[in-house]
Amino acid sequence: MTAVAAREIEFRDALREAMSEEMRRDTRVMLLGEEVAQYNGAYKVSRGMLDEFGPRRVIDTPISESGFAGMAIGAAMLGLRPIVEFMSWSFSLVAADQILNNAPKMLYMSGGQFGCPIVFRGNDGAGGQLGSTHSWSVEGLYSNVPGLTMAIPSNPYDAKGLMKTAIRCDDPVFFLESERLLGMKGEVPEEEYLIPFGQARVARRGDDCTIVAFGRPVHLALEAAEALAKEGVSCEVLDMRTIRPLDAGSIVSSVRRTGACVVVDQSWSFGSPGSEVASLVHRECFDDLDNHVHRVHSADVPTPYAHALEQEYLPNPRRICEAVRSCLYRA
Amino acid sequence: MPIQLTMPRLSDTMEAGTIVRWNVKEGDAVSSGDVVADIETDKATMEMPVYDDGIISKIMVEAGRQVPVGTPIAMIAVEGDSATAAEIAVPPVTTQATAPPAPEVITTTASDARPVPAVSGSASVSPAQDSARVRISPLARRMADEMGVPMSILTGSGPGGRIVRQDVIAAAARMRAGGGAPTPGAGSLVARTASAGSSFLSVPVVALGEGSREIAVSGMRQAIARRLVESTSTIPHYQVSMRFNMDPLLELRSMLNEQLAPQGVKLSVNDFVVRACALAMRTHSFFNASWAGDRIIVHADVNIGVAISLPAERGGGLVVGVIQQADLKGLREIASTTRALAEKARTRGLSVEDMKGATFTISNLGMFGVDNFTAIINPPNSAILACGAALEQPVVRSHQLVVGHEMAATLSLDHRVIDGAMAAEYLKSLKQNIENPATLLV
Repeated sequence: MTAVAAREIEFRDALREAMSEEMRRDTRVMLLGEEVAQYNGAYKVSRGMLDEFGPRRVIDTPISESGFAGMAIGAAMLGLRPIVEFMSWSFSLVAADQILNNAPKMLYMSGGQFGCPIVFRGNDGAGGQLGSTHSWSVEGLYSNVPGLTMAIPSNPYDAKGLMKTAIRCDDPVFFLESERLLGMKGEVPEEEYLIPFGQARVARRGDDCTIVAFGRPVHLALEAAEALAKEGVSCEVLDMRTIRPLDAGSIVSSVRRTGACVVVDQSWSFGSPGSEVASLVHRECFDDLDNHVHRVHSADVPTPYAHALEQEYLPNPRRICEAVRSCLYRA
Repeated sequence: MPIQLTMPRLSDTMEAGTIVRWNVKEGDAVSSGDVVADIETDKATMEMPVYDDGIISKIMVEAGRQVPVGTPIAMIAVEGDSATAAEIAVPPVTTQATAPPAPEVITTTASDARPVPAVSGSASVSPAQDSARVRISPLARRMADEMGVPMSILTGSGPGGRIVRQDVIAAAARMRAGGGAPTPGAGSLVARTASAGSSFLSVPVVALGEGSREIAVSGMRQAIARRLVESTSTIPHYQVSMRFNMDPLLELRSMLNEQLAPQGVKLSVNDFVVRACALAMRTHSFFNASWAGDRIIVHADVNIGVAISLPAERGGGLVVGVIQQADLKGLREIASTTRALAEKARTRGLSVEDMKGATFTISNLGMFGVDNFTAIINPPNSAILACGAALEQPVVRSHQLVVGHEMAATLSLDHRVIDGAMAAEYLKSLKQNIENPATLLV
């Protein structure tokens, strides 16, 4: 017998597979957004989907986020399961009323008459010198709203498994991808699988400090953990996978073991997933902590354009290492 | 450069010291090896030598004051310094220099706090730390509880002197290295420092009435207070008593003392009790053990502590002298060791060595005619035996009421280590040893 070579595909292909599989499985599922059809997606995520599913289910929209997001919400209320691609989550801000004020509240406001099974997806986080207005990390701003689910995969396997769960979810899902990760290759099995929401992944085992991270910063945390291991510091890295629901149990059980927690969140610090995790840990692990939770966020300023400034602004392995050392009184 | 003298750390557990006496005054010349001061620690009064030649340019802490380890107490101007320069170089009293500051600064009373010599213009004196507050991380607090590490021996290495996990681990390791669990080398009732301030003892407000007087609390008295509060508040104490027929032992003792008199040997009842207790350890090892949080440490050596009260002219109080490996010593050696310890305690004071490593303690008030009493466990011991007098009284022997000697003894026990039935078994063995005293001879 020969071992079956694990199949490796890119993050963007994992997303496409998830959408295509779900569209084959359920004719109510559709994709719409700017350039998703004829151009195969601004980032080639939807390559080939127009050919397979045709223009009634893969729809190019005008540059009008409030318009197409609102239209898709209406479609979801009436029984379809739209996937809305924002070229960047930065552009979703003009559709704030639709995506924040309507979609997550629809079930509640209609007294249960209308649900809103919709997926909003797109690139989140600083892409690389895109300037302040195009570099949003919306985790902090959007996760504040009750009624929505927020997923933030860090690798191709999770991207596919979480996307399939998102499409089958009966509530609005905010699906945060990273332009920087779309080309990342990873093992993705051919057979079908789903990853439930609210279930963190232990990206690295360790005993001295728990690093809680979301999305792309998971890789920065792993880099930091590798560097710290050379100093004799053993870090556990948790890839949270979803921000809402937040897998509090995994965080708490890890921190109870390590006694130290650093959270890495690329959104701004004030009112953010990072502050939520800190609050959780301080509440649930108070007697287990040797120090307060340390947080690594983007700096509390608009994203700078200059390359060096942008790198320093974002969470990076050096800043994560400093936070872990400080948390362990090794600074 | 002027040399700064700081309060030295003279024992593992010392966090603060009192300057009993300065042997020098400002302006005196000193040379290396000169004893400049006597320092009272939590355990003993010790001499403080200097290691440099120079002139005492400044005495910063007057005699009678207690300050944390590391606190500058004097300056020595060496060749090339002017006395003034030496004085100016005095940093504010923060204790970063040698040891991290003790989490609490000791002042016996708030009004006793003395202004700190400030560098001109700089007010960067360590903020008067709230002496009632221990800065400790929640994890460190929990670990200290679980591992049986007393707060008093912890020194914080974290920001602002916060006690953190590594400090607890280090303290626990020191304790283990010292041979005994929870506090190695701390065989004495007064072994713990009094430095952790008054928070441990709840202090009622007492009005000073007409004719009343206040007596300053000595280091030893503070240590006794702190250590015994700690013992009663952390150890689940209970007592088990038994009465012993002392007639055979008293008879044997008077015969031995008569025969040994020419050799100048005199055995006390207590010497027999020490030997009986020590031998009983061989079959009851949990009485020679220490609670260590997540485990019980059974000690290899049987070191019996004997409580010794000190005469009023030496300030009163009590210490525990330790008879090392008492199970390997005969009555004659137990007697001479005990006598020597008591003599030394009451005249010169015991050294740290004399008080080190007790694994079980005996307190005997028989010589005062006390019938029966209970004692407080001397941590990290798991038990203490309180002995009354061998009193002549009506007793029942073979269904007959006769006159005989009986002694009551009461064990105080740490229920975390020793259960009631175990205590009864131990007393049974003790009774066996005491009532068949010839077995103690061989």
